[in-house]
Amino acid sequence: MSALGTTIRKRLLANQWSFLLLVVILLSLIAGSVNSRYWWVGNLTNLLGQISVLSLVACGATILIISGNFDISVGANIGLSSVVMAMLMRSGVFPPLAAFIGLLVSVLCASLIGTASILFQAPSFIISLAAIGVFQGIALFVTQGTIQTIYGQFETLGGLKLFNLIPLLFVIALLGYLVVHVILSYTQLGRCIYAIGNNPRATYLAGINVNRRKMIFFAINGLFVGVAAMLLLSRVGAAQPSTGTGIELQAIGSVVIGGAPMSGGKGNALGTFCGVLLWGVIGNALNMMRVNPYIQDVVVGMLIILAVAVSSLRLRAERASLE
Amino acid sequence: MEQHERVELLAIHGLRKTFGDTVALNGVHFSLYAGEVHCLVGQNGAGKSTLIKILSGAEKPDAGKIIAFGKGHRYFTPGQSLEMGIATIYQDMELVTSITVADNIFLGHEIMGKFRLIDYTAQNRQATELMRSMGIDIPATTLVESLSPAEQQILQIVKALHFKARIMIMDEPTSSLGLEETKALLDIVRKLAARKIGVIYISHFLREIFEIGDRVTVLKDGQSVETFDIRRVDVPTITRRMLGRETIFNRPPSKPGGPILCVRSLSRRKHFQEINFDLRRGEILGFGGVVGAGRTALMNVLFGVDRADKGDIILNDNPINLSSPRDAIEQGIVMIPEDRKQLALLDLRSLLENIAIVRNEQGSPWIDRRREKGAIAALIERLGIVTAGPEQLAGSLSGGNQQKAVLARWLLIDAQIFIFDEPTKGVDIGAKEQIYQLMAGLTSQGKSILMVSSDLTELLAMSDRIAVMRNGKLITIVNASDMSERQLLGLFVGVEGTEQLAG
Repeated sequence: MSALGTTIRKRLLANQWSFLLLVVILLSLIAGSVNSRYWWVGNLTNLLGQISVLSLVACGATILIISGNFDISVGANIGLSSVVMAMLMRSGVFPPLAAFIGLLVSVLCASLIGTASILFQAPSFIISLAAIGVFQGIALFVTQGTIQTIYGQFETLGGLKLFNLIPLLFVIALLGYLVVHVILSYTQLGRCIYAIGNNPRATYLAGINVNRRKMIFFAINGLFVGVAAMLLLSRVGAAQPSTGTGIELQAIGSVVIGGAPMSGGKGNALGTFCGVLLWGVIGNALNMMRVNPYIQDVVVGMLIILAVAVSSLRLRAERASLE
Repeated sequence: MEQHERVELLAIHGLRKTFGDTVALNGVHFSLYAGEVHCLVGQNGAGKSTLIKILSGAEKPDAGKIIAFGKGHRYFTPGQSLEMGIATIYQDMELVTSITVADNIFLGHEIMGKFRLIDYTAQNRQATELMRSMGIDIPATTLVESLSPAEQQILQIVKALHFKARIMIMDEPTSSLGLEETKALLDIVRKLAARKIGVIYISHFLREIFEIGDRVTVLKDGQSVETFDIRRVDVPTITRRMLGRETIFNRPPSKPGGPILCVRSLSRRKHFQEINFDLRRGEILGFGGVVGAGRTALMNVLFGVDRADKGDIILNDNPINLSSPRDAIEQGIVMIPEDRKQLALLDLRSLLENIAIVRNEQGSPWIDRRREKGAIAALIERLGIVTAGPEQLAGSLSGGNQQKAVLARWLLIDAQIFIFDEPTKGVDIGAKEQIYQLMAGLTSQGKSILMVSSDLTELLAMSDRIAVMRNGKLITIVNASDMSERQLLGLFVGVEGTEQLAG
């Protein structure tokens, strides 16, 4: 291979995101050759809509994971806050106001996890694990387990397409990534996210109020989750306590596939975006290739493991060449 | 020479190793006899680690010959190296800390009793015997996590003995040990030599090398510059060979001004009591004493990490209340801690971010990336940090450059009082000099320094005055120029212990 080719290849593989993008393109080519409808505009815009809710949840998770924290109650949080929104709308509250109140519920829930984790000096992973039951229980209690349908009261967010093409949902998700990127790269808060995730003790000794920062991280996560709940409710038109279940693991998975280690200190918004995209494309491509739905989960799982394996080997090789 | 009568365990000829474009070893010659302590010295990057890695089988050399126990090899695999009896005692412990001493010794080679179950009684008995034979008194059933760092190192040595090691490589074994622990470890090294084991001993502390070494080989830029008989060489000659030039930093005479920080009756239960001292403007006040004398605990209170139970800290005639490092930093008091890796460094982040982190609680929430980059490039230049650029990961910098990076962050916010806890620990001799120069530079600008150090030479050379602490009390404050190393050591331990320690 020529010297130029080698440099290009090195550049391309130097970033986790570019590696993921390569995988996404490869998968798309395969899916497109099996079923040309994969490349239809309708399918692609549909795909973008599909990954929007996950995107926002993953945005919050990016900040938390880089800072060395976890919130695995975000699925239950979406359930509770979207149920609150839907019930308020059904009882005649002006829909945007109802959505805003639901958003506050989500921020409150996430902040509670941060507070408890700081107060008891306990890992947020365990606190949020316990919180799943609390949030879901409250949602079940207030709804008595019933589905809250809102009959088209709150459709604009979920249904609107800019230029009759790009789903508004996806534009909001992109804004989410942009916000995360700006926070991480251009603000003092972002520096603290990395620093605290890398070495919280050293960060404290450098004069940073680590606890206050941690509270902010959780609140931001709550904000992202609240917006995700809003979008989901608008898209689906109904909410129930189990809405959002399982999305936390997909979100954490996307962030980690995107290059952030589980132990924190590293990662970026672009990586998360590519992680989410990979997830979305795999699902969509399998549908397009008419893979048996029962087998799809198996294939999704295996492809994710493969992607993680390759990227982890790649990172190890990179580290070895550094030493 | 009597050397031809002795058993040669190891001979290395013309060893060469490159990593990409970097030449790590370029013609290393080395030999080791049974019962000899052969010291290896050199600056960081001189090739010591690479040589060890080749001997332990972690790296393959590009060229050269290794003759081990009379047989020639081009390289070792890790398995071969162990099997032949080459054991490496690492700085960061290779022990399973959640199980007992005996379990660690027999790990993977457990003594089996009835029903193929582990015979703990036999294991514990044999472990105790093994340790007694080395004059060590650690119960075999102790959990390794409850051992001190020195005891853990000794356990590694015992474990190597159990596996019939004939060559032991010790890489900076005393770098994290106190005075008494170092002494105990050096005793063990002597016992190993007495058992006809060949010891390759690597240390930044030349004092130790003269205490236990038989020969010393100086590495510089991947080459073995020269091998000396320890009885026929002195410290200046060795440092000159290591650096390639004359050395020994001399702090220019200083003229401290009036008091800036006054500490009155400061006490923290179980750590230190009734501490009184004044730090003057432009002064380096050294803090000497044995490990556990309460020096670091005192500094932690002055930096707001821990709270005092009683007493006052008075800065520029105003009593101050320090309830967090943030408070101390706002008053211009900053700390460069001893345990750099755990307490100061963000190893996954860039040099730039490591320095700029202190700006975080000040001013605008936004970062002016261009101005920041300029300010930090200037600091990197001023401190002489050797780096590929501000984006280099802090974890990949050498110890000395990491230390400078930590110092740089406090220069960025123009601190007034610097607390250095063991400023040159784990720093090679070249970088050490530069750090001394930086400290001297700070005081000549009117900044003040509190310096905790266990290195007598450092304390005497750098301090204006030395506060001696013992068992949580400040015993006395002496002028550094009035003291000899021996006298100072006497003050550290109380006079009765002087002879054994200095002897």
